[in-house]
Amino acid sequence: MSKEWLICGAGIMTLASALMVVLSSNAIYSAIGLLISLFGLSALYLLWGSAFLSVIQVLIYAGAIVVLFVFVVMLLDMSRVVQTGKGPGWFTTLLVTGTGWIFSLFLLRALNRGNFAGAIEHKALGSISVLSKILFREYLWPFEVLSVFLLAVVISAYCLARPESLDNSGSDGVSIKGPKGGRS
Amino acid sequence: MSAVEFSINTLKIFLLWFSIVNVVPVMLWVERRAAGLIQDRPGPNRVGPFGLFQAIADVIKFFWKMDPVPKHVNRFLFLIAPILSLIPASLTLAALPFADKMVIWGREYQLQVSDLHVGILYMLAIGSLGAYGILFGGWASNNKYSLLGALRASAQMISYEIPLGLAACGAVLFFGTFSLRGMVFMQDGTLFGGLLPKWGIFFQPLGFLIFFITSLAETNRVPFDLPETEGELVAGFHTEYGSMKFAMFMMAEYMNLATMSGLMTAMYFGGWHIPYVSDATLLSWLGGSVNLLAIVQLGVFFFKLYTFLLIYVWIRWTLPRFRFDQLMRVAWKNLIPLSMINLIVTAILLYFWEMR
Amino acid sequence: MDLYLPIAILFIIGAGAGLVIIGLSSILGPRNPQATKLSVYECGVTPEGSARIPFKSRFYLIAVLFLLFDVEAVFFFPWALVYRESVRTGDAGLLFAMLIYMGFIALGLVYIFRKNVLELD
Repeated sequence: MSKEWLICGAGIMTLASALMVVLSSNAIYSAIGLLISLFGLSALYLLWGSAFLSVIQVLIYAGAIVVLFVFVVMLLDMSRVVQTGKGPGWFTTLLVTGTGWIFSLFLLRALNRGNFAGAIEHKALGSISVLSKILFREYLWPFEVLSVFLLAVVISAYCLARPESLDNSGSDGVSIKGPKGGRS
Repeated sequence: MSAVEFSINTLKIFLLWFSIVNVVPVMLWVERRAAGLIQDRPGPNRVGPFGLFQAIADVIKFFWKMDPVPKHVNRFLFLIAPILSLIPASLTLAALPFADKMVIWGREYQLQVSDLHVGILYMLAIGSLGAYGILFGGWASNNKYSLLGALRASAQMISYEIPLGLAACGAVLFFGTFSLRGMVFMQDGTLFGGLLPKWGIFFQPLGFLIFFITSLAETNRVPFDLPETEGELVAGFHTEYGSMKFAMFMMAEYMNLATMSGLMTAMYFGGWHIPYVSDATLLSWLGGSVNLLAIVQLGVFFFKLYTFLLIYVWIRWTLPRFRFDQLMRVAWKNLIPLSMINLIVTAILLYFWEMR
Repeated sequence: MDLYLPIAILFIIGAGAGLVIIGLSSILGPRNPQATKLSVYECGVTPEGSARIPFKSRFYLIAVLFLLFDVEAVFFFPWALVYRESVRTGDAGLLFAMLIYMGFIALGLVYIFRKNVLELD
């Protein structure tokens, strides 16, 4: 019984902090909300019996993606961004998220996938060795294709954020070596 | 779980945590005495015998100093940043296997906070959260030096996380388990008919080297202490911090250092095992007492852990600091390819070893 | 669940210790604020301009690359876990699967080396 309560608690934590992401007018508080939300999600995975997925969630999302977001917040001149607006406001947010929530519930019912209890009992998720055997036997081709895909992403990431083009345009950019450009 | 069991477990967790926290005052003293020794000067020698109480005096001084919160900072983030760096530092030690087990009133208690199935992955995941305390602390300080230090620290930590993970992956490949406890059990015994202890380092020498170098960078130690270069950035991300808030950043740093040492001890240096003496032999010497065995094992584990800490201090007072571009080049051009080669070579050797 | 309760306890210990330390130090320490104590610490020089300065986009690129290689590295872990056991049963498939995968990662690495992404100046 206590497990259901924990799942409910983690779910509420995830949703509440996700609301904070949307409602906060300060970008860095949004990032913190996202962080808490991801931890809630990770706790949910853990409670559903997939420790591996839970740890990967922390490693990739909390440890890498949100770091990237915080980086961007710090890289930009936030004093300009913070003052531009107050966020969408409570009413709009609740309306949009509520509509989306009800819509997805209907979608789940329509697809007849509403059986969450079945998903919790799926044993393959729990054991990491079973999971990896499935990944490297049955899903070997998707796995190999993924490496090609990631290579494409590396190349496109470079092309989008090409240092030469951006460094020249942003003449007020400061090098990390020191406040007055890198002479040290 | 009964109430007695729960309280013993909680006490155990607190004591294990405290044993790692204790590294901080010890290291405060060791670092300065060793610096004195290496630089041919006495070091702190006034407070108590050999200046041993210097660490306690330092802690008391930290507590009784004014704790300023400057006007220009983001107050909330400024206050929680030290806690945010202390929490991951505390959490990472959960998977460290200190010793085998103790029996109290007929119940077994593992001397480890929790033997997770995902042990090493858990340590890497929580370790990657250490960047937030530094990032938020630096940003909230609203000081150019702090921000620069925080950016440097985070760029450095994320760059070195990949070789750290890949080096640890080599050990996983060899041992075939994520559990650090399992790894330590597999290192019991000897190799080549008693010539060498069966330690991970003899199977993963390159992996250990990469892991060791990366652990220096992850804990912001010399030669990778660019986030807090005193000549360029005043003190880096904690420039605006004072009193115990500053000390908490230092605490987290030393605790991370201790956890990294413990991780290397468990993965590459046999954990709690004494070389050439197997657990079974030791148990018979001690008259079959499991609790005595656990105490000896704890001693051995901490001996190895403190040896690593001493090596860190030694390196700090020996090597000069990298430049930032060199630091990035080492991570991406040397360590990541090397750790991938380490993985491939280990995999191929294991293939032939298992195919015999 | 027994595995994760100790971690929750450890979290409480760590966070609690942090709060206690901050509380104690604010109680024990003197309070004597002065304008110079509360100003920006720049070694005596009068602070100039805002601290929120924009930085080079290269750090953003490094963060993106870290993210990508982190995702790639994560796949090594489940592979490493089952590799030895799988080879023992005479299955060489995993070795070649990972060699191909690693080949593409190496291509990505070579690409960013050739483009001098990491040459910070």
